[in-house]
Amino acid sequence: MKKPPKIVAALSISAALLAVLPILYLGLRLVQGFEKAIEELLRFRTIELLGNTTLLVLAVTISALAVGFVQAWLTTRSNIFFAPLFGVLAAMPLAIPSYVMALGFISLFPGFSGFLASWLVLTLSTAPFVFLAVTAAMVRADTATEEVARTLGLGKLAVIRKITWPAVKPAAFASSLLVALYVLSEFGAIALLRYDTFTRAIYNSYRGSFDRTSAAALAVVLLLITLLVIWFERKYRGDYQASPKALTKRLRVDLGALRLPSVALLSLVAIMGIGLPIISLVSWSVQGAASLDWGNLIAALLVSMQLAVSAGLLIGVFATAIALWSVRYRTKLGAFIETVSWATHAIPAIVVGLALVFFGANVTPWIYQTSWMLLIAYLILFLPNALSAISTPIAQVSKSLEEVSRSLGTPENKTLFKVVLPIAWPGIIAGVALVSLTVLKELPATLLLRPSEIDTLATRLWSATEDLAYSQAAPYALLLVIIAGLPALALNSQARRALTEVSS
Amino acid sequence: MFRRIISAGAVLALAIGLTACTSADETESALTVYSGRSEALIQPLIDSFEETTGIDVIVRYAGSAELAAQLLEEGNNSPADVFFAQDAGALGAIAKAGMLKTMNADLLALVPAEYSAEDGSWVGVSGRVRTLNYNPEKVTTLPGSVFDLAESRWRGRIGIAPTNASFQAFVTAMRVVEGERKTLQWLEAMKQNAVIFEKNSAILEAVETGQVDAGLINHYYWYARGKELGFDALTSKLAQFESGDVGNLINSAGVGLVSDSSAAVVFVEYLLSDFAQAYFADATSEYPLISGIDADVDLVPLTQIPGPKVDLSDLDGLEQTLDLIRQAGLM
Repeated sequence: MKKPPKIVAALSISAALLAVLPILYLGLRLVQGFEKAIEELLRFRTIELLGNTTLLVLAVTISALAVGFVQAWLTTRSNIFFAPLFGVLAAMPLAIPSYVMALGFISLFPGFSGFLASWLVLTLSTAPFVFLAVTAAMVRADTATEEVARTLGLGKLAVIRKITWPAVKPAAFASSLLVALYVLSEFGAIALLRYDTFTRAIYNSYRGSFDRTSAAALAVVLLLITLLVIWFERKYRGDYQASPKALTKRLRVDLGALRLPSVALLSLVAIMGIGLPIISLVSWSVQGAASLDWGNLIAALLVSMQLAVSAGLLIGVFATAIALWSVRYRTKLGAFIETVSWATHAIPAIVVGLALVFFGANVTPWIYQTSWMLLIAYLILFLPNALSAISTPIAQVSKSLEEVSRSLGTPENKTLFKVVLPIAWPGIIAGVALVSLTVLKELPATLLLRPSEIDTLATRLWSATEDLAYSQAAPYALLLVIIAGLPALALNSQARRALTEVSS
Repeated sequence: MFRRIISAGAVLALAIGLTACTSADETESALTVYSGRSEALIQPLIDSFEETTGIDVIVRYAGSAELAAQLLEEGNNSPADVFFAQDAGALGAIAKAGMLKTMNADLLALVPAEYSAEDGSWVGVSGRVRTLNYNPEKVTTLPGSVFDLAESRWRGRIGIAPTNASFQAFVTAMRVVEGERKTLQWLEAMKQNAVIFEKNSAILEAVETGQVDAGLINHYYWYARGKELGFDALTSKLAQFESGDVGNLINSAGVGLVSDSSAAVVFVEYLLSDFAQAYFADATSEYPLISGIDADVDLVPLTQIPGPKVDLSDLDGLEQTLDLIRQAGLM
C-alpha cells in the first residue's frame, strides 16, 4: 500500500487527535453522571427535541439544495440576464452570519419567530454553500456530453436530470452535508427566532444551570445524528469524478419565456437574503452611530481579522494534509481520520469551548486564555468546512497526470507537491477563504476561550444583542458583513474566473 | 514552490497567533475579575478603581451562568481572583463546589445579612426586585399573587423567561417557600399560559409593544427604559404582588473571592464603598445595600417592597429547580 509523506501523516493525525478532545470530554462528563444522563434522555422532551431538530434539518437541507442548485444552473448554464451579477449575489449571504440575518428580520418584523422563520433564515444563510460547490463543479465539468444529449433529442429537464445532475452530485451532496451540519449546530439564529432544537437545549442547560451532565447527554445524541447524516452522505454521494478540463465553448441553454421569471426568482432570493438584512443593519447603524465607541470598534476589527487570517491559514494546511491522505491515497486510516474530523463538527461550539476550557486550564495552563487556544478551537470546529472545499479539487486532479509524472521518474512525494497541489491550488485557496469567513462569524467558542479583555466583532455584537441594543449591535454587524463580504466576493470571483476561462 | 508557500503560510499564522496572545501575558501581577455584569456598567467603575488603587485589573465579561460553568471547568486552576455575578444562584453554585474563600467578617458586616450568603462565601453588592410588568389598558385587575397567573384567563397573555437566571432564582424561592408540588403545578400552568422569551428585556419589549399583556421581570429593566425614553413614554407599569408573595423576591447581585489575592479583598471593599454603591443606584436603578446610600428617587424604597421570607443562600439548589422547569416542559 502507498504511504503518504510523513508531513502529511503528522499533520493529519495531530488534527484528528485534537478533534477527538471534545468527544473525550463528553465521555468524561457522562461517566461522572451516568444515571443523570440516562434520566435526561428518557424524558419526553428528548423526543420532542428530536422531532423539531429533524424537521428543521431536513427542511433546510432540501430547500438550500434546491435554491443553491437552481442559482448555480441559471448562472452557469442558462442565458439568464446579468448572470455574473446574480452569481455574486447568490454568494453574498455567506457574509451575513445567520444570527445577524435573524436579527435583521426580527427588527423589521416584530414577532417573526418559530419553525417557518428559522427555516427561512437558515435556508437563505446556507444556500450559498450549495451554490458555490455546484457552480465550481459545473464550471469544471465538460458541457460536450450535455450538448450531445440535446442533439440526440433529450429535453432540457432530462439533460439536467440525466447528465448535469450526476456530474455535480458529489459536490451537491458534500455541500448539503455541510448545510445539514450547520443547521444541527446552529444556535444564535434559532435562539433569536425561538425554535427549540437540540443545540439550543444544550446551550440552555449550560447557560441556565451550569448543568454539564444533561447538556453532555444531549450533545451525545446530537453527535449520533451527525454520524447518521455523514453515513447517509457517504452512501449516496457517489464517487468523485476526475474530469478532463473542459475545452469546448460553454453551451448556454435558452430559457425562452422563462428568462424574466428566472430573473424575478433570483432577485427575490437576493432581496430576502441580502437586501432586507442590510437595510435593517444600515438603518439601525445610522441610529447608533452617534453613541458608537470607535476605539472599541477598531480594536475589535483588528483582533477579528488577525484571528480569521491565522485560523484560515492554519486550518488550510491541516485540511490539505487530510484531504491528500484520504483522497489521493485512499487508505483506511486516511478515511478514518477524515471521518473523525467531520464527526466533531456536530458538537455545538459551546461544548468544544468548554472541553477546551477544561483541558486548557487543567492540562495546558500555559496557553489557556491565549489566542493559541482559540486557534485550536477554530481548527476543531472548522476543519470540516475546509475539507469540504479542499477535497473536491484534490480529487479532481486526474490520476493519469500523476502517473505520467511518476513514469518520468519523479518520486511519488515530489509528484504530490509538483503536480497535484499546484493543480488543486485554486480550490485550496477557496477553502482557506471560506474558513476565514466562518471564523469571523464564530461566537460561542470565542466567548469562552478568548483572552480576557480581547473582543472580536462577533463578541461585541453579542454583548449588545444580549441587551437588545440593536443600534449598538448594528455597526459591528455591518462591519462584520463588510469584512466577511470581501473574502466572499474573492471566493466567487474565482468561480467567475473559471467561467470566463471556459467561455472565452 | 508550493511547499514553500505552505510552510511560509504556517509560519505566518503562528507568528500572528503569537503576537495576538502577548496581551494575555500581563495577567501575572494583575487582578482578574470574572464579571457576569455587563461591560457598559462595570468598566467605568473598574477604571476608577485602577486609578484610585494602582491595581491593574483584567476583566472577563460574559453571562453569570457561562462564567459559573467556566469556573467549574477550570477548577483550582482558574485564573480568576474574583467572581462578580448577576445573581445569588450562580454564586451559590460556585460556593457549593467549594471554590469560594470565606469573606472577611468586616466586609460581610457592611451589608444586611439577608442579602449575602449565610456561610459568608459571598457578599451582596446590589439588590433587585421581581415585579409584574403590565399593560394597564389590558390588565385592569392586578393579580394578588403570582399563583393567580395560573388561572386560565391568563392564557397566552403573560411573558416569562424560563432560561433566565433571575426567573430561575425566583422559581427556586417558590420551591423553598411553597414546596415542590405547588411549584410544579404553577410551572405546568405556565406551560399553558405563558409566552416564552429568552430574557427580561425581551419581555419588557413585548409588553410595551402589546405582544403580551404582562410579564415577570426584574424592576430595573423598566426603570432603565424609563430613564432612556422618559417615564411618560412608557406604556407599561410595574406592580408588586401582595405582601410576602414569592413573586416579589428580593435577590442580590454579589461578589465572591476565588483566590487568596489581597487585591481581591481591596476590590470587594471598593464595590461596597459609598462611591460604588451610589454609582450602582444611579447607573442601574438597583438598590444599594450599604447603609447611608439612598436608592434612586423614582424607586419604591426597598424596605417597602413586600418581599417573601427567603434565605438567599437557599437559592443555590438550582438543580432541583431546573428539574421542575424541565418536567413542566418549559425548557
